[in-house]
Formats: sequence, C-alpha cells, structure tokens
Amino acid sequence: MFAPNHRDLLIACLWASLAVVAVAATDNTILRTVLCVPVAILVCGHTVLRAIGIGAASRAEHLAYAVGASLVVGIAGGMALNAAGLLSPLGWAVWFWLAVVGSSLTAARRGGPAWTLVAAPDVRRWHVGAVVLSVLVATGAYALAVRDETAQRQFKYTEFWLLPSEDGGQLRVGVRSGEEKGERFDLDVILDGQPLATFRSVEVAPGQTWTRELPVAPAAVSRRAVARLFRPDDNRLYRSASALLTGR
Amino acid sequence: MTSGDITWAAGSPVRNGIRQVLAVIGPDRRDGMMADTLPRPANPGAVAILFLTVAMALLLVVLGQGAGRRGEAPASLLFWAGMALAVVPLGFRISWPQVARGERLLLLLLLVEALFYCRTIYSPTSFTPYDEVLHWVAAEDLMTARRLFLSNPLLEVGSTYLALEILATSLADLTRLPLFAAATLLLSVLKGTFIVALFLLYEKITGSARIAALGCLAYMGCSTFFLFEAMFSYESLGIVLCTLAFAIEAGSRNLPGGQRSRALVLIGLLLGGIAVTHHLSAVYAAIYFGSVATLELLRRGGPPRETKMAVGAVMAVLLPLLWVELNGTHLTAYLGPVIENGIKILLIKLHGAPAQLSDAVVAAAPSQPLFMRVTTLLGVLLTALGLATGFFRSLALSTAAAGRSGWWSIRDVLGRRWHESRIVFLSLLAFGFPLSVAFRLSIGGWEVGNRMGTLAFFGVGLVVATGIVHFWQGRAPRGWRLVAPPLALCVIVLGGVTSASLDPIRGPYRVAADSQSVEAMALETARWTKEWMGAGNRFASDRVNSLLLAGYGRQDVRPDIAKGVHPSRVFKSETLSADDFWALANSPVDFLLVDMRLTTAPPVLGFYFEPWESRTGKPIPPAALRKFENIEGVGRIYDNGFIRIYDMRGMHVRP
Repeated sequence: MFAPNHRDLLIACLWASLAVVAVAATDNTILRTVLCVPVAILVCGHTVLRAIGIGAASRAEHLAYAVGASLVVGIAGGMALNAAGLLSPLGWAVWFWLAVVGSSLTAARRGGPAWTLVAAPDVRRWHVGAVVLSVLVATGAYALAVRDETAQRQFKYTEFWLLPSEDGGQLRVGVRSGEEKGERFDLDVILDGQPLATFRSVEVAPGQTWTRELPVAPAAVSRRAVARLFRPDDNRLYRSASALLTGR
Repeated sequence: MTSGDITWAAGSPVRNGIRQVLAVIGPDRRDGMMADTLPRPANPGAVAILFLTVAMALLLVVLGQGAGRRGEAPASLLFWAGMALAVVPLGFRISWPQVARGERLLLLLLLVEALFYCRTIYSPTSFTPYDEVLHWVAAEDLMTARRLFLSNPLLEVGSTYLALEILATSLADLTRLPLFAAATLLLSVLKGTFIVALFLLYEKITGSARIAALGCLAYMGCSTFFLFEAMFSYESLGIVLCTLAFAIEAGSRNLPGGQRSRALVLIGLLLGGIAVTHHLSAVYAAIYFGSVATLELLRRGGPPRETKMAVGAVMAVLLPLLWVELNGTHLTAYLGPVIENGIKILLIKLHGAPAQLSDAVVAAAPSQPLFMRVTTLLGVLLTALGLATGFFRSLALSTAAAGRSGWWSIRDVLGRRWHESRIVFLSLLAFGFPLSVAFRLSIGGWEVGNRMGTLAFFGVGLVVATGIVHFWQGRAPRGWRLVAPPLALCVIVLGGVTSASLDPIRGPYRVAADSQSVEAMALETARWTKEWMGAGNRFASDRVNSLLLAGYGRQDVRPDIAKGVHPSRVFKSETLSADDFWALANSPVDFLLVDMRLTTAPPVLGFYFEPWESRTGKPIPPAALRKFENIEGVGRIYDNGFIRIYDMRGMHVRP
C-alpha cells in the first residue's frame, strides 16, 4: 500500500495510531504530549498536503503549510465532534487518526514525488552544545519568573465570611489569612441581636483557613445574622460580615 | 525617464531641492537584490552564538520582571537591556546583506519566539490580559460542557468564533496539559508559523529573501505584534491563517493549472478556517483577495490575468458571510459603534475642534515612561522615513519585469501596466499606516487604529524593506549604509514593543488597568467564590473583577444589572435612585462584588466598568461603594478589607 517513496505517510499513520493508543491507555502527560502534539499540529497537515498534492518549494514552506492545514483539520474536527457529541480526548485522538490515515491513503493512491528530509548544514558539537545551553538557560529563567510570580503578594489581608445555607438552617463562618504572620482573633456571631456563638483566641497562620458551621433553629421569618472579627491585641473590630437567613 | 532626466534650470535652489527630494523618494533602484543572487551557506557558528545571546537576554528580561514585581528600581534597566540584547544582535544578523536564506528564516523564528517568551513571562502561569481571560472562560466552558457555541455574556460574538478555543482544548484533551500550557504551546507555534508565512509571502512576490527578512522585521514594528497577536485571543489564530492563505496564493500564481487548482483547495480550507475563527481577520482576507482580484481585472498587458484569483476573492467574501448568517451573529452591533466612534473622533481632530474631554480626564489619560514614548516616536518616524523612500520603489517593483526604470515605471503603474498586482496592493496598503497612527492619537480612535495597523503593516513591511534594499543600502553597502538600516529596524521592532502596552514590566497593582490590576488578592477572592459559594452564581462587578470572577471563580457574570442598566450607574452614584432600587430589586444579579481599591485612584484606562461610562478623571467617592451597607435585605457575606461581596437576594422582588 505504501511504496518506498511514501515512507513518510506510513510513519505518519503509525504515529497517529500510537497517539490513539496513548490517549486510550495512559494518563502520562509527557508521553501523550510527545505523541499527540506533533500529530495535531504538524503530521495531519503534512498528510493532507500530500493528499491534495501541493508541492512546496522549500522545507520551510512545506512545514508552514502543514501547520496551517493541521489547524484547519483541528477546527473542522471541533465542529464535527461537537455535532457527533464526541468532544472528548479519545474523540480528538480518533479524529486526528482518521484525518491522517484517510489523507495518507489518498496521497498513496495519488502517487507523487517522495518527501525527504534535507541534509543538515555543517553543524559541530559546540553548536549543538550552545543551543542546548541556551534552552536550559531560558527554561531556568522561566522557572525563576514562575517563582517571582508566586512570591508577589502586594496586599496583606484577612478574608472573613458568613454564608447562609440554602434552607436557612445553617450558617458557615470562616477566616483565611493572607497576612505575613500568624494572627489571633476573637470572633462572635449574632442572630437577630442575640448572641449565637463566640470563639476566643482563634489562631490563623498565613495561608490557613478556619471555619465553623453553626446550626440555626428554623424560623418563619427572615433573620439577619452578623459576624464580627476582633483583634484582641488592640480590641479593634477588624472585619464584619452579615447574611440574611430566609424564613420557611 | 529617470529623476535625473528631468531638466531643471541650473542654479535654482528650490528646483535643486525638489530634484533631490525626488531622487530620494523616487523609484530608482540600486540593484540591492544583487546581494541575494548567490546562494550562501548558513553559518551555524553565528546561529549558536546568537542562541546564547538571546538566552542571556531572556534571563535579563526575567530579572527585570522580577524586580518590577518587587517594585525595585533596576526593573526598567534590566528589562529593556534584555529586550535590546534580544533584538539588536538578531536584527543586525537578519538584515545583514549576504546572509543565507535559511539562516535569516531561522533567526527570524528565534526572534519571534524570544519576543513571545518576553510577553508570556509577564504572567507565566495564568492568563491576565482582558481579551485572554474572555477566551479562557469560553475554553473552560467548552472543556466542562463538551459542547460548542455556549453563550458568553462578556463577549457575545465570541460564541460564534471558537476556533482558537477548539484547538487549545484539543491539545489540552490530548495531552492532559493544563489549558494555560496547551494554549501557550499553541500560541508559540502560531507565532512561528506567522513569521514563516509572512517571509514566504514577501519572498514569493519580490523574489528576494533579503527583502522578505527585512519586511518581517519591519512588520514587528506593528503595535499589535508583540502583545495583541500573541494573546490567547481569536485574532492570534486569524492573522496566521490569513497570512498563510496570502502566502500560498502568492506562491501558487506561477504554477500550472492543475497545481494552482490544488493550491486553491488549500486556500479555500484556510479561508473557511478564517471565517469561523475571527471576524476582522475574515475582513482582512476579503480585503486582500478582493483588492488583488480587482487589480488583476484592471491590469493591462503583461502575463495572462489570474482568473482563479477571483475564485479566491469570492470565497473570502462569501464564507464569512455564510458563517455569520448561519449563526445569526450581529457583527454590526459589535463592531459598528467602535468604528463609528473612532471615525467621529478622528474627524473632530482633523477639523481642529476642541477636545470633548475635561481637563481632568485628559490629565488622567494613561501615559508611559519617557523612554518608551521616545522609542515609539522614533519607531514611527523611522517607519515613515522607510515608507517615504520605499513607496515608489516598491510600486516600481511591480513593473520590474518590463525592464523600465525610474519614473517611467510609475507611469506604467498609472497606466495599469504592472505585472504583480500583489505588490501594487501592498504598496497602496501602506497608506493605512499614517491613518492608523492618526487614529491612535485619540483615546476613542485608538482601538480602530490598533486593528488597522495589523493589516496596514503587511504593506509597511514590504515598502520599508524595499526602501532599505533599493535606496539605503544598494548593492554593496559600506560604512553607515551598512549599519544604519539594521539599527533603524531594531528601533522599529523595539517601537513595536513600546507601543504594544502601557508598561510591559509587571509592577504593583494599579486601578482599572486590566493586566496591571490583576494580582494575588483579587485572584484569591475570585477563587474563594468558587470554593465556598460554588460555580455559576450571578454576579456583577467592575471590569477587572468581573473577568476574574468569570475566569477563576467560574461565576455567571452579568454585563448589566438589568436591561439597559449598566453596572457603572449602580456602582458609581453616591446614592441609589428609585430607578436604581427598582433595577436591583428586579435584577437577575444575586451578588455584587465591590473593590474598595477603586476609590484610591482614577482609572488608568479611563473607566472602571465599561468603556462608555461617563469619565470624570477622578476616583469613585468611597461613599458610592459603601452605599450597599445599609440597604435592607442586603448582606455583606465576604470582606477581606479591600474587596467585599454583597448578597442582594434579600431585596429581590420575585413573582
């Protein structure tokens, strides 16, 4: 089926098949990335170009056109899979497999010149070493950028909330610290002017969340709950929150 | 007839001056393409050193961004030193005469990917620009619901143009990469493909790899190149498909019938892709194919007319219209007001009418550091100089095969005797550059000018490159002629970076400044809503927090409080009118998120909520945002000292 001058098509079909197997059989991100990304972004476009019979004047031209054709195959796949209700990982893998195999068979039937790789220019070891080093430096720099982003916290804050349940039978009160250091709080909850709960010396470390669920007796009318957060050190009202409990 | 043939009375300084100007702008060419005729081997050693240089440059840029995040003084120095180190050596090598074609192309790819890297590390783990988050929300919806065409209240036309989301989610599905990583991978491929396609387009129509490479560098001076066309937004895909279609069409023009028909199939597929990807890209494609086809019809003599070009033009016009019709999209309602407002403001400026904005608004208009403004201005001036010296020479290229030179070739163009309609169109398209600059001078017209630039720079790239090769450098440039043009191109590329955004360095929080307003606390608040309230609650808030709620909080953010009542009206007034009460009581919105930081400064971009809100140039009074405290039935369910969430359900009137 695949003559020697169509080895690229055979390799494309095998690669696409491996991609389907990888999607169906493993959750390994690296393996799936290595197998699936080339199929989705380049290989299917390459086989489509071969099927249509477009000859490019240079490798760069062929690669650019192949990426363009792959993008169109991907877009068409989205529409088709949506119509079929198959927009899922396996659906995508099968779609690209169908595109690659279908266009490869068409290309093989059409004939045409062989597709060969160009010879590499006179590359020495240090050239490769320099490029690899560059990639490593750029990757390291990216990791540094991620670390910088994670460390950037301009505002120091404490989140305080009071959430009523849907049925009005429960209140959820919570504190989360975005401060630089741990803090100690006093907290009280009042329902319709009557104390419902009090918590003393609640310690919350940076990044830590403190929550309590408070059951509330059902009532026929709507009631207002208020929660207040105090800092015992200066006895100051630090935050307050309120919620409306719906009546039954 | 050349400029030198025109006889003038000797000794007249005015006429001498005119003669000199004509010689500068005139169509005479200095055979600069001779330097391209011999194929040269690539120099892997130079490429390897440039890779290392770029890696060091990227490290500097990252250090600059990090310093910016910490508010340290050397941020600007580090960042811009890194940018210069990335652009200048590469720019020089790419634009140097007598460099191998493959080497130019590889270095162009390296430069584009380096610029994309610099853009990405502004926010290396998440989407932050406004448009990106809009598309991210749509992509998340797609991954969650496994269905297309879901409504997107924050970008209504977005539900019609989902190609980018389709491709990004396909990669995320296939690889199990996070959506951000999959999207970044896709965008880096798109950037590379774009520059290769642009190179091929210029090379096919001029026959010169050097002009093609210089043209690509000049294109990078476009204000949309660095940021806008590198975002996770539909234009980033649309422009790539457009450029590929242009390049394939240009490359297929001399092919025999059968092969040209096959190329037309691929062009048709790409045009179909554009139609479902981005409305403006579809317009660009229609303009390009329609204009070139029209010029082909107008052309006299020369090679046979390319009738298949007309087929491409018909497809470029019909496919987008068909898609819009199928989806019932109201594009005019989306694009019309922006274009109308831009033109109105430009006309006001042209007539010299006084500005309609108050002094406070003008004073609060966003501004950049002086260095950035100077670089942008220099880039614009150098581009204008390139256009002035390249326009007629570029036009003359379209008649090159006829063997005519000087102003005769322009006479041929005027007599419709050109050989290459694409060059004629792209040269004329360069006129869009001054127009886009004029639009960008006003706040209201900025958006129109920005979008125009994307298309106009296809022409600008060609004309500037032609000017450099055929006027500034010529056959064997030496001395300043060798060094100045590459340096000018580097300034143009850096001008593209400085004109792309207010500040490409990540700094502390700023009020209503889109990306610069996105910081950890607001993100945490948005995530808190998802974690503790669940997804899909109906929210209203300011522009930035709405976006974060929709993206990170997965909430149902409503652009209006009620029909015809925009959030700015309810949020900005110090007291609620009876109509506002009625709107809130009958609103589908259940929660309001109020960011008290809005009261600390005027909005950097001029508005807090929506672009059409009234602009005073002053901060919102704190009382305006505190007014929800004392309304009966309203609860403040969340407070972090800066951001509050109000539960409005208690004041709703439900039938």
